[in-house]
Formats: sequence, C-alpha cells, structure tokens
Amino acid sequence: MNKKIGFILALVVIAFLVMGTASAGLFDFLGGGSNNSARVNNDNNTFIVGFDAEFPPYGYKNGSEYVGFDLDLAQEVCKRNNWTLVKQPIDWDAKDAELNSGSIDCIWNGFTINGREKSYTWSEPYIDNKQVVVVKADSNIKSLSDLKGKIVETQKDSSALHALQGDNKTLGESFGKLQEVADYNTGFMDLESGACDAVAIDIGVAEHNIHSRNSTTKFVILNDTISSEKYGVGFKLGNTQLRDQVQKTLDEMFADGTVAKIAANYTNDGVPGSLVRK
Amino acid sequence: MMLGSMVSLLMEGMITSIEIFLLTLLFSLPLGLLIAFGRMSKFTPLRLIMKVYISIMRGTPLMLQLIVVFFGPYYIFGTTLSPDYRFIAVIIAFSMNYAAYFAEIYRGGIEAIPKGQYEAAQVLGYSKIQTFFIIILPQVFRIIIPSVTNEVITLVKDTSLSFVIAIPEMFTVAKQIAAAESSIAALIVAGVFYYVFNVLVAFVMARLEKRYDYLN
Amino acid sequence: MSLLEVKNLKKSFDENVVLKDISLNVEKGEVLCIIGPSGSGKSTLLRCITDLEQEDSGDINFDGTFGLVFQDFNLFPHHTVLKNIINAPLKVQKRDKNEVLKSARDLLKKMGLEDKEDAYPHELSGGQQQRVSIARALAMNPDILFFDEPTSALDPELTGEILVVIRDLAAENMTMVIVTHEMSFARNVGDKIIFMDDGYIIEEGTPEKVFSSDNARMKEFLGKFYD
Repeated sequence: MNKKIGFILALVVIAFLVMGTASAGLFDFLGGGSNNSARVNNDNNTFIVGFDAEFPPYGYKNGSEYVGFDLDLAQEVCKRNNWTLVKQPIDWDAKDAELNSGSIDCIWNGFTINGREKSYTWSEPYIDNKQVVVVKADSNIKSLSDLKGKIVETQKDSSALHALQGDNKTLGESFGKLQEVADYNTGFMDLESGACDAVAIDIGVAEHNIHSRNSTTKFVILNDTISSEKYGVGFKLGNTQLRDQVQKTLDEMFADGTVAKIAANYTNDGVPGSLVRK
Repeated sequence: MMLGSMVSLLMEGMITSIEIFLLTLLFSLPLGLLIAFGRMSKFTPLRLIMKVYISIMRGTPLMLQLIVVFFGPYYIFGTTLSPDYRFIAVIIAFSMNYAAYFAEIYRGGIEAIPKGQYEAAQVLGYSKIQTFFIIILPQVFRIIIPSVTNEVITLVKDTSLSFVIAIPEMFTVAKQIAAAESSIAALIVAGVFYYVFNVLVAFVMARLEKRYDYLN
Repeated sequence: MSLLEVKNLKKSFDENVVLKDISLNVEKGEVLCIIGPSGSGKSTLLRCITDLEQEDSGDINFDGTFGLVFQDFNLFPHHTVLKNIINAPLKVQKRDKNEVLKSARDLLKKMGLEDKEDAYPHELSGGQQQRVSIARALAMNPDILFFDEPTSALDPELTGEILVVIRDLAAENMTMVIVTHEMSFARNVGDKIIFMDDGYIIEEGTPEKVFSSDNARMKEFLGKFYD
C-alpha cells in the first residue's frame, strides 16, 4: 500500500475514533445549546428521573409501563410544575455518571440517604423504612433486650435480615434462633400459633399485615427499631435550584394529602406505614 | 403473567437487541477491514496507531468503552448529553470494539493467503483493487468465517451490556419483569430468545461457510 | 529488433547481489532455456523481466503481452478451472465473452482437460493443475510465455506431461523463455541455451555449443546430472 493511501486511511480511522466523543458535542453545537457546566436545572421543561426498574414498589415494570410509588410522586410533581416526566431506567452502578453528566436530573427510587449524605444534594426524607419487631400483644417482650434467647423470624433477603446479620449482628446473635421464612405471611402465622416469639420486619410491611389481618389488638410493634433507613430524592451535588423546586412541590403534596393518597395505592406493599409524614 | 404477554413485553427489548446487533455488524465489518489495512500498512505511524487501537479495544472491557463513549463528551468537553445519544453511543462503542476484533480476524485471513496468489494476479494484469476483491477476499472469507461466527454469536449476547448506559435491551427487560413478578420465568424466556437468535445466526453463517467452501 | 532485450541488468537483495550483469535477447518464435545451479539468479531474472521484482539497474525492453507459468502453479483455488482461465481475459482485457469461452475451451482441449472445466484446482493432479495454469497464461494471447521451473513441484511421473505440452507449443512457434532443471528437455526443445552461475551468464548459444562447452563451471554443473 502506498503512503498516500495509508495516510488517507489514517485520517478516516482517526476521524472515526474522535467521532465517538465529538459527535455529541457537534450535535449540541448545532443545536446551540452547549455550555461547559452541567445543567443545574432541567432543560426544556423535561424532568428525567433515573431509577432502578427492579425495585418494587418504588419503581418497576408493570406491563409495558414503568410504575411505582416514587414514579407516581414524580409524575405529580411534574404535573404541578408543567414539566414532562421522562422515566429513565438506569444501570444502578452507573447512577453517579448518569447524574453528574446531566443525562438524568435526579435519582428517585427508594434511594437510601444514610451513608450517602455528602454525595448528593438531597430532598428531605419522605420514607422512613424502619425495621421493627412485631410481637403478640400479651407477650412479655417489651424491648429488644427481651428478645434474648427467643425465636425470631424474618423473611429471607430482607432489610431486617441484612441488619441483623450486619450492623446489628450482636442483637441477631442474642436471639435463641434467627429463622428465615419464605414470606411474612408464614411469619405472622407462626407468631400467632406460638411457633415463634417475634417477627423482624419493615415497618410498612408490618402495618400492612397487621391491618389486613384486622389484628390490631392481637399484635404490637415494639417502640425500639432494629435499624432505619431514610429514602430521599438525590440530585447532583450543588443542584439546589432543582432540589428546592421539587421539595417545595413535595411539601405541598404532603400538605394537601396527595402523597398519602398516592401511598394508599401501595397499601399492600406497606408504603403508607413508611411515610415520614402522615 | 401469561407467557404470551411476557413474550410480547420481551419483544420490545428483543427489537432493541436486534437493532444493536445489525447496526454493529453493518459498521464494524467494513471498519474492521479498514483497520486491518492500517494494521498491515507499510506506513509505520498508521500501523502503530492501529496496533494501539486494537490493543486498547481488545484489552479493556466493552462495558467501560460504552461508559467512555457515552459519558466521555460530558467529562471531556462538558457537553450536554442528549437522550438520543444513548443509542448512538451504544452503536459507536459496539462498532469500534467489534471492528478491532474483526480487524485481527481479517488480518489473520489476509496474511494466510500465499504471496503467489498476488503474483499470479499481477501477471494476469489485475489491478490492486481487482486483486483484492476478486482473488484475495473470497479466499479470506473461507478462512475467517468460523472465527467471525464466534464473534457474531458473542455479539448477540454482548448486546445485554448496553444497559450500562440505560438502553433497555432484552435481558434488562427480562430482569425488570422478573423483579416485578418475583419469578425467574422471564429470564428463562429471554434465554430461549437468545438461544433461538443464535441458532438462527449459526444457521446463516453455516450457509455462508458452505457457499465459500470451494474445497469441499 | 528482438522481441525482448535485457541489457546490463543488476539486482540485489540487501547485501546479496543476485544478478550481476545480465544481457540477453529473445527473438520472435525462439525458445530460450535458462539453466544453472540453484541460487544462480535464474528465477530472479525471470521475475525482473515479468515485473515481479524491480531491477536495481539496467534496461528491459519488451513491447507486448506476456504470460508466466509458476513453479507451484498459483491457480486461484476458489475459481473453477474455466473461471481461472477466462476471468482475466474478461475482467482485465475486457474481451468478448463468447470469444473468450471458445478460446478457453480450445485451450482445455489442447491440454487434454476438456472434461475438467467445472472442477476446482484442488480436485486435479499437480500435472493437470500446471496444464490449467499454462492454459490460463495462453488465454491472455501473450507474445511471449515465461516458465519458472514448471516441473519442479511435480512428481517425476507427472513431469513428462508438462514437457509434452511445452514441446507442442514450441512446435507452434510460441516464443518462450523457460527456466528449467530438465537438461535433456532443454537440449531438445531450446533454440538457445543460457547457462547462469553466480549472477552471470557463463555460457550462451545453441544447445550443441553450450552442452559441449569446455567451461569448468558448466562441466561441473552438467556432471551432476550425468554422473
């Protein structure tokens, strides 16, 4: 191959190599929308919510639609601000790159604040996902220390189980037995029949079960919590402008009962019981 | 969920996967040939650039390349990323990656052709372009089809990587359905889809292989 | 004027000087056989004349078309016998398809391969492949035909069939330059013999003259064949 052809080929391939990075810039330049700072506000009145679509009840796939408590909240926020909601399912591992590059406006998806306080600009928590202990009303178990030597059941792969095997390992080890069950339905049946002494469970799910069984007099939730995690809406660090607007709308929605109304649609999933403000 | 509705939901993801698959082949097969030429060029700087290019593309995860191509414009130039760019980035990253693999396959095939074939063609008066397309390339095809088949089948499965930049291809849709249904049925159905897709690919490639197999 | 004139041809590969000073003429209708030990530069000479190598200095004057028959045939394995023969006349010379087909079939008949036109090269014996490659070269209607050790890759029992073909071509006054190790064949078919050694032409002339030369190197070389 002579040098001239080689040179032309080199140009073609180099052009292709830079195309990957340059094309977006070019599109943007042609559209006249380029700026060198990440957008601090949502452009064109679209509000792009990044979420993990494998996290019911907060965000998940139902038929060909993405639905969930968080997405319903986001939808209402958009409606009140005249924004168009874009539901963007993302790879959870790429959430920071997505947010920082502005390809999504926020992460709104049962997003735990605890431990991430300084990494995002947060809304106020709207869900308090507490892990609690349910016992029989006539039980002599009144606090977590009374669980020593008792049989405690929890659902496999649940937050409560993770807490009892992780941060609250000492507590978990003080039990006579930490027994995993396939679902909480079994747990409550065991509790009622005396096969176990207590059930460790998310507060929302606990309330859902207690209410749906009409057994408010039969069971009580201990005041002590095993652990607690708060959910908030995460914005890019420094994007207070958009956060404030969303927060303001959320506050209004809490105040006029809209949040509770939306949560009621997820009663079976225990969402109402987890709301920070009732 | 009924199997029928599950299949129709998976179908959306399947179409995305097929689009990625076809567009990647459309761009990477010819681009690979250009890179192979560059890699074999007597012009040293070009040869070195291509060598480095192939080395990087084969030596780093495709998932990382997807992330770099999609997020790179923002981190390097501060560009706002348009939602449409997600799919474009997938095609660019896949094409660039697969072109590197195809380039090495082409190179192996081209270098396996004896020098005498070029000489015979030259003596008969074929131009360089005629020589390549009439004499060399058909022989290269016969040599490389099995290796290309391997890559193409890998590509079918690799399409699932594109969710790293939020393109919901079939496997992602299957995982979402599985999470919503608390059942792995959707994943099994997706597995069947991939398998059928690959059986189809293998069938087409076997036909091609037969067509170019002048030795049997 | 001669059909082919080579003057003071020199060629080296890196430090290795292969052709030191070669001049020769080939007349129309003449059969020139080039003999000599391995490494004497015979094949390089042929490759310079056929443009497969670029000479360092010297002149090659030849105005016309040529064909080259290789030692290892170099047929195109993905083309049938017929396509090997007709493709260049059609694609390169842009000749009429009917005319090319007719002449290709005549050539195949002449080579005793009329039933092989749809075969692929690998289905043929070495001798048959070499005959196809001769037909392929002849299909271009060359003014001169070069052979680069056309029988060296063949089993001894297949050599004869190629030599017969070349002899027949000589009888038709085809101009040919043949690099060969077949001494008796060179003697019988060649109008002129060139003996090369170490990049030089040592002896040149009619077969009678060259094969009865008193040159020491010539005698030593021939001795290896007649011992």
